[in-house]
Amino acid sequence: MSSDLQEAPTGTVDDVAVAPPLAQRAKSMAYAAIPYVIAVLAAFVVVGVLIAVLGHDPAKAFRAVLTNSFRNETGMVQTVHKWAPLTLLSLAFAIPLGAGRFNIGGEGQMILGSVGAAAVGITMSDLPMVVLLPLVIVVGTLAGAVWAGISAWLMESFHVNEILSTVLLNFVSFEVLDYVASVVWSDPGAGGAVTLPIGDGAVLPGIGRPPMHTGVLLVLLVSVVAAVMAKRSVAGFELRAVGLNERASQLHGIRTGRVAVTSMIVAGGLAGLAGAIEVSGVHQRTLEGIQSNFLLLGIIIGLIARGSLTAVPFVAFGIAVLEVGAGSMQRVSGAPVEIVLILEGLILLFLLMSDVATERLQRARAGRSARRASATATPGAPA
Amino acid sequence: MSGIRKTFGPVVALDGVDFTVANREIHGLLGGNGAGKTTLMNVLYGLYAPDAGTVEVDGSPVTITSPKDAITAGIGMVHQNFLQVDVFTVTENIVLGTDSTKLVAPDGSTQTPAQRIAELSSRFGLTVDPGARVADLPVGVRQRVEILKALYRGAKVLVLDEPTTNLTPQEVDDLFSSMRAIVDDGMSVVLITHKIRETMEVCDRMTVMRDGRWIATVDKADTTADDLAATMIGEIAGGDAEAAALAQTAQVSLGEEELGEASLDTSSEAEPEGAAADTVTPTPARVTVRGLTVAGKGGKPLVDDVTLSLRPGEILGIAGVAGNGQGELAEALTGTRSATGSLSVDGAELVGRPTAAWLGSGVVYVPEDRQRDGILPGAGITENLVLGSHRTRAKAGMINWRAARTEAVAAIKEFSVKTPSAATPCGQLSGGNIQRVILARAFAHNPKLLLLHNPTRGLDLRSTQFVYDRVRRAASQGCVVIVISEDLDEVLALSDRVTVAYSGRLVGEFARGEANPYDLGRLMTGVGA
Repeated sequence: MSSDLQEAPTGTVDDVAVAPPLAQRAKSMAYAAIPYVIAVLAAFVVVGVLIAVLGHDPAKAFRAVLTNSFRNETGMVQTVHKWAPLTLLSLAFAIPLGAGRFNIGGEGQMILGSVGAAAVGITMSDLPMVVLLPLVIVVGTLAGAVWAGISAWLMESFHVNEILSTVLLNFVSFEVLDYVASVVWSDPGAGGAVTLPIGDGAVLPGIGRPPMHTGVLLVLLVSVVAAVMAKRSVAGFELRAVGLNERASQLHGIRTGRVAVTSMIVAGGLAGLAGAIEVSGVHQRTLEGIQSNFLLLGIIIGLIARGSLTAVPFVAFGIAVLEVGAGSMQRVSGAPVEIVLILEGLILLFLLMSDVATERLQRARAGRSARRASATATPGAPA
Repeated sequence: MSGIRKTFGPVVALDGVDFTVANREIHGLLGGNGAGKTTLMNVLYGLYAPDAGTVEVDGSPVTITSPKDAITAGIGMVHQNFLQVDVFTVTENIVLGTDSTKLVAPDGSTQTPAQRIAELSSRFGLTVDPGARVADLPVGVRQRVEILKALYRGAKVLVLDEPTTNLTPQEVDDLFSSMRAIVDDGMSVVLITHKIRETMEVCDRMTVMRDGRWIATVDKADTTADDLAATMIGEIAGGDAEAAALAQTAQVSLGEEELGEASLDTSSEAEPEGAAADTVTPTPARVTVRGLTVAGKGGKPLVDDVTLSLRPGEILGIAGVAGNGQGELAEALTGTRSATGSLSVDGAELVGRPTAAWLGSGVVYVPEDRQRDGILPGAGITENLVLGSHRTRAKAGMINWRAARTEAVAAIKEFSVKTPSAATPCGQLSGGNIQRVILARAFAHNPKLLLLHNPTRGLDLRSTQFVYDRVRRAASQGCVVIVISEDLDEVLALSDRVTVAYSGRLVGEFARGEANPYDLGRLMTGVGA
């Protein structure tokens, strides 16, 4: 049968666009932005009411939260120092999420990273920086990767739910940190679960005044690599494919188990790197509570970014601004710092709600045509 | 039914359809996929509320807003998927939801439900064991249970939606004689089907629908299969040559084509070559399968000792009733499920190697469940076309997406995929277009062994023709093609050789033209294997 025969019936598509035209793309991007704008505004409105009810001035509070990072260098350095672990913890959540796996163990992996980094930094404190600093960073990263690897192995070999195993290993990691900081390398003068300081060669050098530690640059590099890998690499494609349809991926030669395990281990490595950077760049030791609330914020960031590795660093920066502004807000307006966490939580909550709302709208529109398709395959009548 | 209109959003599913079933007739409701046959009957059965139009039963208008109303009005329907309680017995399933205390037999005496079922069953030749658990029954018997259910509820008009799917030819014969008995008893039957042969065999009158519209209602005596095929296809923009070609496909895909008469241009070109080679020097087999076995849970293998030898350009058809291990066999033959035994393509052994290696050797699988197994619904066409070849096309671990998009645009044109753009998520395409994307990807692999499982299920006529066309073209280029299908007509039309999957084994083997549907039917039910 001639080839013109097949083309004619379906209506030849002579001008199939490679991608939708620019105007259409801009339009769809604008549409995509609407839920974000609404979510952020709604969160601010609700929190503003809350601040007013508590008897403080919402305008003053918001001004303090939003401007603190940009008023002087100290605010900016504080912000990027927060941004670094937030970005890494968020990537540690978002990367396995791409393959449909939930890593809720970022803080445990970060703690193990900090313990690994501190262990090297303390025990080999005499080594020169060229050797010691990379060693601290690498060992911290590997420790996080191994910690996540336990969950990945349980998931792959015994079908243990990775949400459970990662969360439970967080609790184990608290005890490991406590043991290391109060027994093994405890600093007797500190009066708490704090280790001895790491050697000078293990400290990340700072730039500028007040000094910003160079771990920030490392994280910047990591986030660029992560974004490029996700978009262009085979690994990124396989990750996405597994997340979109695990069965189809497997039938087309992707080793889905291996992809999922790798994503967990990479995530653990990134969280471990965050631990190492906190040790080497910020605290010069590890201590109880080093994980802060980075896990929770990382999950919020990852979800607001909807798993897009490109969006993660930007969302993380916004959250870092809010986090750093929290203290200033309390000083200026008297509104408690916890207000900021409420704000962050509400942004996500409203975003998810607007997702459902937009989905319903879309379904109302598209569903009608879809129903026609299903009309030919209606399941049996009620008995 | 008159002037029935039903829209789903912007889509007009039914456009002013008139439909009349006379007393004591079997009325065929004929049309391709998406013609609106089932939708029309779902309106009659109260599953959809029509936007406009009226329904009359025995001359008086009725309002049907639910299946309950329909049953009260004497309308019964048997859907393609049965809604039965698996653990209940046949009797329990039939009686379920009815008032079983006061039943009046035709002679005026009272009846127990069991007596009524026994009576209906013998009157219409619908043999069932009333005490059997439904879960243990084959599809054909479960269908009888469903028909009995409708009759038990006093149906005067019985609607059967594609009832012959998954029945063997013998079971189809039984069904048709039951239908005749039902009609002789004063009731009416509507047979929804896309197979012209079935309507010609059993129907008194037939109505043809296309694109949601009534096209024609004709008496069997006044029409021929060719006329019906032409009516179903309608006018074609491409002129006579195209209409003729489509009509030919219609005959094949709609079940009209006689055995052995399948005139397949491309494969018949390949055949003399093969035949000649057989007599002189045997053509080396391209694909050799030996003892391929997939272990099952209970010790009974899912795929049992399958051995095949396939020449280049050969199309092997595997018929069979669903659930006889076809899915597992398809996966085992394409390296997507672990199996023991041996399978080699051009001498290279593949069993035990990862799926990617099979793909790399040219083993390509077009799965039955397109949405679940074939595509990444949330990803664009470009990404879906790259799936599977993403590793081989990558340089230094990076995929050149610009090149991939250009190729995707070319593939969209070549395979006539209807889509707004190459970035459109595959899940938003229609079934026919998804299959075109899957085929485009399959052929980009330069397959040496192409396995298709139910490749035209749910597709409209044009897409069906497209699939057949591509399959034959692949075979003419030396690709070994295996078609696993539950549509016996499809298997017979496409294949150079036919075998039957029964209970995980391949039983019987027929060359083109030697296969008789009844012989195949016996094998499909495990008789005479």
